[in-house]
Amino acid sequence: MAVREVAVNVLEAEGLIKKFGDKTAIDGIDLRIREGDFTGLLGPNGAGKTTTIKTLTGLVKPTGGRICYYGKDFFSNPKEAKRFIGVVPQQSNVDRDLTAYENLYLHSMLHAIPKSLRKGKIEESLEFAGLQEYRDRQVKTFSGGMKRRLVLVRALLHEPKILFLDEPTVGLDPQIRKNIWGLILRINQQKGMAILLTTHYIEEAEKLCRSVYIIDKGKIIVKGSPDDLKKDMGGYVLEVFLEDRIEEEFFNSKDDALVRLKECGHACKIRQVTLEDVFIKLTGKRINV
Amino acid sequence: MFNGFQGVLYRELNVFRKRAKKQIVASSLSPLLFLIAFGWGFGDRVAVNGLPYITFLIPGLICMSSLNQSFAIAQELNITRFYFHVFDEFLIAPISHVEIVLGEAAYGIFKGLLSTCLIFAYSVIFGVKLIIGPMFFLAILTHTFLFATLGITVAMLVRDHGDQATVNTFVITPMIFLSGTFFPVDKLPEIFKWLVYVLPLTYSTKVIRATLTGGDVNTLYLMLMLGFAATFFFTALWAVRRVEG
Repeated sequence: MAVREVAVNVLEAEGLIKKFGDKTAIDGIDLRIREGDFTGLLGPNGAGKTTTIKTLTGLVKPTGGRICYYGKDFFSNPKEAKRFIGVVPQQSNVDRDLTAYENLYLHSMLHAIPKSLRKGKIEESLEFAGLQEYRDRQVKTFSGGMKRRLVLVRALLHEPKILFLDEPTVGLDPQIRKNIWGLILRINQQKGMAILLTTHYIEEAEKLCRSVYIIDKGKIIVKGSPDDLKKDMGGYVLEVFLEDRIEEEFFNSKDDALVRLKECGHACKIRQVTLEDVFIKLTGKRINV
Repeated sequence: MFNGFQGVLYRELNVFRKRAKKQIVASSLSPLLFLIAFGWGFGDRVAVNGLPYITFLIPGLICMSSLNQSFAIAQELNITRFYFHVFDEFLIAPISHVEIVLGEAAYGIFKGLLSTCLIFAYSVIFGVKLIIGPMFFLAILTHTFLFATLGITVAMLVRDHGDQATVNTFVITPMIFLSGTFFPVDKLPEIFKWLVYVLPLTYSTKVIRATLTGGDVNTLYLMLMLGFAATFFFTALWAVRRVEG
């Protein structure tokens, strides 16, 4: 993809707060997504990832803060802003009773795609998702992976400027998961569409996202590119195998780690820092729980 | 312009189409049982308000059955909202809440009218002559719109499927039995009369029965029906908005 000279902000959120009763789900979140960005939102269960997505897409009204799409306030004209948004929710919300084609047709109506363009766009989507043969089957007969692909292309049908993906591969087989990631990468690279995704699978976020926000307890703890975040941690980890646990020590170079390894006296292993190390160091929690 | 309205209706009618046979058979059974039990059971030995009982009963069954069908969209909305999250598709789309409410209400009216047609067919079989004029159409449209929008309101306010069943048991079923569908409410003791005149179905039944049997339509009652319809339209709108809270 060509490097853009001036990247335009698609989405800006400032001081976003959402309370449910006296429970604060998100607590002052700031986000900025530019055209073509591929951003990950990482955090343990209950960190506020889904609530953040729901708030940004208009499913949940924030208690405080500001959301702007292309510099315009979301709530002063939600109808206009919603045209820029594509959403793949955590739970597949395709209509089980409708066929794949009907699901896409419904979406094209709701998003006011001109009648003359509908058919062509739907055919294109079915092909992209590899679902042409199943177009006239009711979605209730679909496998998890097929449903997820359908939700994905449905979210793209109206050519949004930003695609929200909430745990798009959760509960899928590794093979199908890879297939979905392939589709998502193509969307970002070929169409230059901005992507904001939440995920548990931290190593995949590490591979795909150009920048990540790590959130915990409704707050952003850190943001940056996966490489920078890892560099900030030192780059190398020495895992010391103690009797009852593994202790991790961080070093700026492999040589420093080697020096420590020699004097340590326990079984040790040197490896490169992963995004998961960053996460655990910052939140004190493992993410894959 | 009305793409949202069309989209919502497209969704509901297509889902309905796939279950149409089952739904029509299911909704035709209970009015038939009432007709056999009360219509044939009493035969023409009983007259109510100067009408043979079966002629009195059929407009009541039209009100009951169309109410049931229009209000039943609440149950369907519940499933789409809580189990399959399909309702989120409507909320995320660039369409207004008015379009969502009107789309769902149109579906409720459609279902109500379908069951009305069914009972008209029964009335032919049972040899009951009814007068179907413009006033009847105005009344039945208002009646089905009113209960469809009440259904939307309830579906948006309840927290789960169980709540929905509670509303049916404690509000809808008593209303159906007390609001003059099977007997004239004026025969009720004073204290009950006060209660039934709070229920919208009482006015629907009186107006619809009058239009079908050639009686005088009480304009005040018709106005009250329109008032209920307007009120429930706004509560439905408010309730949809509240879902995003």
